[in-house]
Amino acid sequence: MRISKAGLLVVLALLAPLLVELRTVLSWVNVELTVLETGLVGAVLVVAILVWAFLPENGNGKTTEGDASSEN
Amino acid sequence: MMTMSNAYIEEFPAEAKVVRTAFYSAFLALALGGVFGIVQTLHRTGYYRFIDSADYYTVLTAHGVFLVISFTIFFLVGVFTWAVTTSLDRGLEDLRFTWGWYGLMAIGITLSGVAILAGFTDATDISASVLFTFYAPLQGHPMFYLGLVLFVVGTWLAGADWFRSWWAWKQENPDERIPLPTFMVLTTMLMWYIATLGVAAAILLFLLPWSLGLIDSVNPLLTRTLFWFFGHPVVYFWLMPAYMMWYVMLPKVSGGKLFSDPLARVVFVLFLILSVPTGIHHQYLDPGIAEGFKFIAMTNTMFLLLPSLLTAFTVVASMEHGARQRGGKGYFGWLKALPWRDPVFTGMALAGLMFAAAGFSGMINAGMNINYLVHNTFWVVGHFHLTVGTAVALTFMAVTYWFLPQITGKELWSRSVALGQVVLWFVGMTFMSNAMHRAGLLGVPRRTAEPQYEGFEFEAAVGSMGELQAQIALGGVLLTLSLVLFFANVFGTALNGRSDDLPANEYADALSGPEDAPLVLDNLKLWTGIAIVLVIFAYTFPLLSIIDRGGLLGPEIIPLPVFIESPALLVGAVEQLTAGTLESIRPVLEVSR
Repeated sequence: MRISKAGLLVVLALLAPLLVELRTVLSWVNVELTVLETGLVGAVLVVAILVWAFLPENGNGKTTEGDASSEN
Repeated sequence: MMTMSNAYIEEFPAEAKVVRTAFYSAFLALALGGVFGIVQTLHRTGYYRFIDSADYYTVLTAHGVFLVISFTIFFLVGVFTWAVTTSLDRGLEDLRFTWGWYGLMAIGITLSGVAILAGFTDATDISASVLFTFYAPLQGHPMFYLGLVLFVVGTWLAGADWFRSWWAWKQENPDERIPLPTFMVLTTMLMWYIATLGVAAAILLFLLPWSLGLIDSVNPLLTRTLFWFFGHPVVYFWLMPAYMMWYVMLPKVSGGKLFSDPLARVVFVLFLILSVPTGIHHQYLDPGIAEGFKFIAMTNTMFLLLPSLLTAFTVVASMEHGARQRGGKGYFGWLKALPWRDPVFTGMALAGLMFAAAGFSGMINAGMNINYLVHNTFWVVGHFHLTVGTAVALTFMAVTYWFLPQITGKELWSRSVALGQVVLWFVGMTFMSNAMHRAGLLGVPRRTAEPQYEGFEFEAAVGSMGELQAQIALGGVLLTLSLVLFFANVFGTALNGRSDDLPANEYADALSGPEDAPLVLDNLKLWTGIAIVLVIFAYTFPLLSIIDRGGLLGPEIIPLPVFIESPALLVGAVEQLTAGTLESIRPVLEVSR
């Protein structure tokens, strides 16, 4: 994994503001998405992030997470 | 082998009990406020209405008062007690006095709470559906005001308790700098003393006597202005403990040190001197206050951005330092090395991120001209759900996961549930506050049970009103689920057995420590003096002007309906008007002839 599971959770959570604001921003250039289309864009982004996250880094499957030492 | 931990409860068992009691009081208020939150969300959006719309305002009052008065302030007195005792490394001077102020706060909020909740039943005449902004002309039962007075006096005594600790410590350490957490507590309380003078005056001189029937009327603009004298700085009373956590806790859980102790002191001094002379920015649309005074309030408010921007810089720099200590590399790669698995860290980081968005919407609220666009709309509700509803509430919930083991001596029930809870709060609030802001831009009003009008549709620039309502309801449901997870952890932890393997009671060291801070920063008398002078500049003339125009107890009351005393007078007036009109059009008539 390229990112820790907790990091992945946070990245996916950050998609929420990105998606709701993206719809407004796109309307400025006359691209008006419906809720369904926004949901589809979101789903594509989620899949893309999951694929990226679960691809092994440098082909050795080693995780980069630095969370192991966070038990404070 | 069992080892003794250095947790707070081991060092200060009696004080830990005070903090624990204050926190549990805060959580009770959070639970009640949360229930009323989802009730009003579903009612307002029209998804599920089981209360009468007239009761919506009782629900709204309970939601506001329980969350922004009880939850926040009970929690912060717990945090401040921890901060003073830990950083001075000494117990409180007299625990009977400490329990005294806690008791006063508890009795006070119970009286106010009962007065609010009694509004749901007709069995009694008691009610106080006056909203959190309880100024005239809305009038509550005297018990509501009396309760608030006791609650605020309790916080004053709490401040005296912490000052007493500091004075005792100073006698023994005359040449030491004030430890940063204690410095933050003292500056916050000095600000609070000044700020609450406004609400004390509003209640004791006007609202309580009016509610008791001792005086017939009040000057509504005067009570509004006195409320906002307190009503804006109370925002910083909520925020400054959250800032304290970002300064002394976040760097620690990030694995590093606070970037700069002097900058942190500057920030709290700026909050002390600038928080109060800004309240009139809530009254940009109030007639009766000259534009010039509003402009002064706007200028002071914009200066308040400075400590927030300093905080953003210092806190992010501290996080980056922590991440690099943990092996993080690159311009942005260090972000991956942060302890995202830790709900204390993730909750505070997400709260800080949301606060950045709140800062931008706050700038719009604070701008005199652009405020007219959003004043009294749902935008404002979206704004304060990002500030107190996320920057403060999410930070408080996140640090609860650190504090609970410290004050109970028990391990946290579930870190995974805690992590899910803080992330769910972030997502829920994203949906809800975004839609609230956007609805406000369409002119959707705040404080309205049914913002659906016959023969009129709000036109959304993007999407539709229906979608915005759905987004708000979705956000409200996610936030409620997040609260359920939070309370599961609080209960689960309370039911755990005692543990001897808990983290030590520590806070972050600083890269640049107090020795780098000019001595003048610790001169609390100087900063308090400047704060008072600024308040006098900002408020003397507006208050005198309001009293001059509207009277101390309001203008003379003219009973309605208004009758003209004599019919003869009316006939005379009509005759005079007709004659004057005929005279004025005579030349026109002659020409046309």
